[in-house]
Amino acid sequence: MEIIEQAYQGLFTVVVLFLALLIICCILRSAIGPRTADRIIAINMTGTMIIMIIAVLSVMLDQNYLVDICLIYAMISFLGVVVLCKIYTGVYLQKKHRKATFEAIAENIHDQQPDTDVHCFDSPEAEYAGDGREGKADGKGKPDKKKEGHS
Amino acid sequence: MVFAWCRFAAAAICLSIGLVFMVLAVFGVNRFHKALNRMHAAALGDTLGILFVFLGLMMIRGFSFDSLKLFLVILFFWIASPVSGHMISRLEAMTDEDLGEIFVLNQVKPAEKGMGKEHSKEKKKKGNAGKGEKKN
Repeated sequence: MEIIEQAYQGLFTVVVLFLALLIICCILRSAIGPRTADRIIAINMTGTMIIMIIAVLSVMLDQNYLVDICLIYAMISFLGVVVLCKIYTGVYLQKKHRKATFEAIAENIHDQQPDTDVHCFDSPEAEYAGDGREGKADGKGKPDKKKEGHS
Repeated sequence: MVFAWCRFAAAAICLSIGLVFMVLAVFGVNRFHKALNRMHAAALGDTLGILFVFLGLMMIRGFSFDSLKLFLVILFFWIASPVSGHMISRLEAMTDEDLGEIFVLNQVKPAEKGMGKEHSKEKKKKGNAGKGEKKN
């Protein structure tokens, strides 16, 4: 029976060390990620791997309460991601003086490079191409490329 | 004795499969160029990676209250991960000014590189004409 105990210990040690190595790679990505979304994705994955490590430790050390900590950590990690996304969306939209609607996304996609065909977001773009567009475009003071194509 | 070793082998296989999925997720996150592509790789680790690692731990624990709690963690992750992914993708779609560069990948072909821009402009005009007709 002692051999199998040692085997379990070795397995858990290898798994924990491997996950720690992966966490270091993930933190590197979160440090050099060029955009905010990259950093949030990397932090989310780091949280996932920390939860795995806590669960493995709960079995390895035979402590039941660590699983509860695991569950609570999952909830707090999810809450952190949601709050960070809301904060950065709000900061960006406040900088641009817009409201957080689907039209902001459609407008962003609409203002992309002229030689790209956008296939997604069919219905919001169709809404956006309606009558309300010209007033907004004039208010922004940007030249409207699609309008020129029409005339 | 044989049963214990079989359980050990099954748990080790499940844990290693989960670790392989996590390696793939980390590799994808470090390798892709755009945040939306990286999210695809990260979702792999959030669903399959955590499923296999926790499945291995549940095999070691057997039928007990601990296994139920581990299963609850998996369930919570499967509910929460798509929600957070949706939030991150909405953030990216709102704030990224160069989001359209993803679609350029489909257009660049080495044979017609010189003709590329005119061709795409013609396409754009055709698309606009089609929309105008629809509106009228």
